[in-house]
Amino acid sequence: MPELGRAALVAALGLILYAALVGGYAALRGRRRLLDSAINALLAACAATGVASLVLLAALAGRDFSFEYVAEGTSRELPTGYTLAAFWSGQAGSLLLWLLVLTAAGSAAVALNRRLVREVLPWTVPIVAAVATFFALLLVFVASPFATQAAPADGAGMNPSLQNPYMMIHPPMLYLGYVGLTIPFAFAMAALASRQTDERWIVATRRWTLAAWTFLGFGILLGAKWAYEEVGWGGWYAWDPVENAALMPWLVATAFLHSVFVQEKKNMLRVWNVVLVAGAFGLALFGTFLTRSGVINSIHSFTQSSIGPWFLGFIAVVAGASIALILVRLPLLRARTRLESLVSREAAFLYNNLFLVAFALTILWGVVYPLVSEALRGVAVTVGAPYYEFFAVVFGLPLVLLMGIGPLVAWRRASLRSLGLSLLWPAGVALAVGLVLLALGAGSSPVGLVGYTFAAFVLAAIVLEFVRGTRARHGLGGVGWVGALTGLIARNRRRYGGYVVHAAIVLLLVGAVGIGGFSTTREAKLAPGETMQVGDYRLVYEGSDQRRGANALELRARLAVFRDGESLGALSAGKNRYLAEGETSNEVGIRTDWLRAEDLFVIADQFNADGTVFLEVLVNPLVNLIWLAGLVFVGGSLIAMWPDAREQRRLAQRFADGGALARA
Amino acid sequence: MEIVALLLAALLTVALVLFVARPFLRPSAQESDRLEQPSATELERTRLLEERDRALAALKELEFDHRTGKVSDADYRELVGPLRRRAAETLRALEHKEGAERERHEADVRA
Amino acid sequence: MAKRRNPVRLVVALSVAAALAVFLLYTSFAGGATASLRPSQLAEHRGDEVSLAGRVVGPVTGDARGDGLRFTLRDIDGTATVPVVYTGSVPDLFKTGRHVYMKGELQSGTFVAEEDSLVTKCPSKYAPKES
Repeated sequence: MPELGRAALVAALGLILYAALVGGYAALRGRRRLLDSAINALLAACAATGVASLVLLAALAGRDFSFEYVAEGTSRELPTGYTLAAFWSGQAGSLLLWLLVLTAAGSAAVALNRRLVREVLPWTVPIVAAVATFFALLLVFVASPFATQAAPADGAGMNPSLQNPYMMIHPPMLYLGYVGLTIPFAFAMAALASRQTDERWIVATRRWTLAAWTFLGFGILLGAKWAYEEVGWGGWYAWDPVENAALMPWLVATAFLHSVFVQEKKNMLRVWNVVLVAGAFGLALFGTFLTRSGVINSIHSFTQSSIGPWFLGFIAVVAGASIALILVRLPLLRARTRLESLVSREAAFLYNNLFLVAFALTILWGVVYPLVSEALRGVAVTVGAPYYEFFAVVFGLPLVLLMGIGPLVAWRRASLRSLGLSLLWPAGVALAVGLVLLALGAGSSPVGLVGYTFAAFVLAAIVLEFVRGTRARHGLGGVGWVGALTGLIARNRRRYGGYVVHAAIVLLLVGAVGIGGFSTTREAKLAPGETMQVGDYRLVYEGSDQRRGANALELRARLAVFRDGESLGALSAGKNRYLAEGETSNEVGIRTDWLRAEDLFVIADQFNADGTVFLEVLVNPLVNLIWLAGLVFVGGSLIAMWPDAREQRRLAQRFADGGALARA
Repeated sequence: MEIVALLLAALLTVALVLFVARPFLRPSAQESDRLEQPSATELERTRLLEERDRALAALKELEFDHRTGKVSDADYRELVGPLRRRAAETLRALEHKEGAERERHEADVRA
Repeated sequence: MAKRRNPVRLVVALSVAAALAVFLLYTSFAGGATASLRPSQLAEHRGDEVSLAGRVVGPVTGDARGDGLRFTLRDIDGTATVPVVYTGSVPDLFKTGRHVYMKGELQSGTFVAEEDSLVTKCPSKYAPKES
């Protein structure tokens, strides 16, 4: 079957090239049938890629080791779930996933928007196809998933750190995000190419952008959960370049989501919006490049990698073409509207954008600086967490503050007096919370205390918004309190969905500060029967066991946990020794206390020959709020994304072909 | 096994090529093959509609902000006037445009 | 319409300038970035607290939680080596052949590493297979 897979990919490449070239010609010359043909080609390419994907899935499911890719990433003893997930665990397979999602999303975006944006559509097709061409070229010529070999007896197995449920769905989530960002990018560039300066492309891609951004954000949190449980050093985010690779496009996409509001209301920031969407897409490609090309390990492994230079070239082409197109259309885009006041909601959005983009740029510098330094000076440099954490605080705290102030400020112009009055109640709550926390000993981390005070401020502001809105609706009469609340949310989905998302970010902040600023660590070497005390917890080491798991030898230290004399059950931590892969992995023991939202985190660092075990134990307060924040984030996003029948009708009317009168 | 794969690949290729050629094989439902670019009047109309929607939305939002207490009475009185005038302007511009279009259309019909 | 000085531009320019200043300063001075040395460069920094990066060469003996884990570190692309003694937590991925770095200082010919400072570079799952 590998021949079928290879043929399907070649077919996909041909179809995509057709869509790009013929679509481009059709857009240039205005040929309807050629455009329809190009759209069909994009759809057909999706089908062909689907066939190739099925071939690979079948090979994985059947453990067909004559496929090099299957042999490199799985083994006979690997559980089925992980075997199937090996589709995207290696380079060629993940490129195939990219192409599949891109052609599917591209076809869907074109098909669903046919009526709404018929002028912009012609150029969207060749642009999406051009991006797809890159991946198809790589798959056919450089990194094929269908290379064959004489089948060995068993495969090399999967990297043990990937054998974790969160790592299974983390890549597809991220790709839905990265690829999803291609759609607004394509529509934006298409709008520029066809001289459309109105907000049509934004309206058409609004939900796509929101969905992509949600997947990306959720994917990042999944990665963090994986890092917390699997890598298990006690933390959840290490500011590793690979993590930052996904964070950067997410930050820029967040800025974009906010600044389109301003374009919608005031018809300004049009150039900035196009720059942002191109930036987000460029960073998504850069992120893919960072994780694929090995460039982070060293310049050396980058140059030896087969696809690194290709990616860099492609990013350069995309960047160059986008910049050129924006510059050419600059006169058309320049807005005549000006910012009326530095104290207004528009200004708040502008500040928000500045901080988000600045933060993204500092992360970019932190990632790129070591590579530049090594390439130019030959000096290996590492940029560690302190650098990133510094800027996370410097840019993050003002951003949190803006989350609270922004919603309370009116559009256009807010008199400082009315702003002050609106802020009074949330500020008061924040101050009270701050003082209480100070009394409880939170002063041990000043930054944490400030963070919590700001968090309280934002939460109070959000609650105030909901309360005032509900009261206003209720005051109109005819609905009870619950009806007023649901009606309020239903009629202002983006606004109140956005507030829920802000609440999620605040939850994340609270959790991050909890584990970052207020966690406790203890280390001890224990013999069976001995105990150690960490915070409120007392642990007794009972002994160690070894058992044979599905594909590993599992060594575990058994512990009994007590708090205030009460038994909280057993906990085990240890190591897995993977037979096929010849690697050892750390398996931490976590006991989650849901009421306190804290974790007792046990690392069995070393098992000694004399029966003793070296343990490192942490108490991480509030860390589970981070994961809860992920769920609230998705919930808020869904509210904001939810289709609004009335809005759809109004927009359809606005973009309907010709005027109603012209048809009389 | 190879033969099966090759046959499937061939079938797939044929099906896909047919699908791509479909717009040329079916009798066209539309009169012309040209992709209509929006005319200047259409673009103008869209722009006016956008401005009208923007002005009306701004007015609605001001009312909402006032009702929820975000905008004080004094600020409201100051802001509502210009916004109402702007909204009225956009509605007038749209009516004017539609009136002009109607006249032109009737002239075409008569001719 | 008289062209009014647009406050947006001023705000943007000032912010960009400020941000630029802050992080350029930080990366150059405040030690956001730490340079790491190779075993071949160690001789010149006898007695200094430095960062050392290299490839692990066996045999690996001893107890990191006891007297100290002992191994040899070699230049990534070179032949110079230095014996290392390390105490503290050992990352999962630590193995002969892996690229690691740690902090510490050279004392009488042996590099004594700072406790818990050993870090392994994640071998990229997408990098070319190392033989």
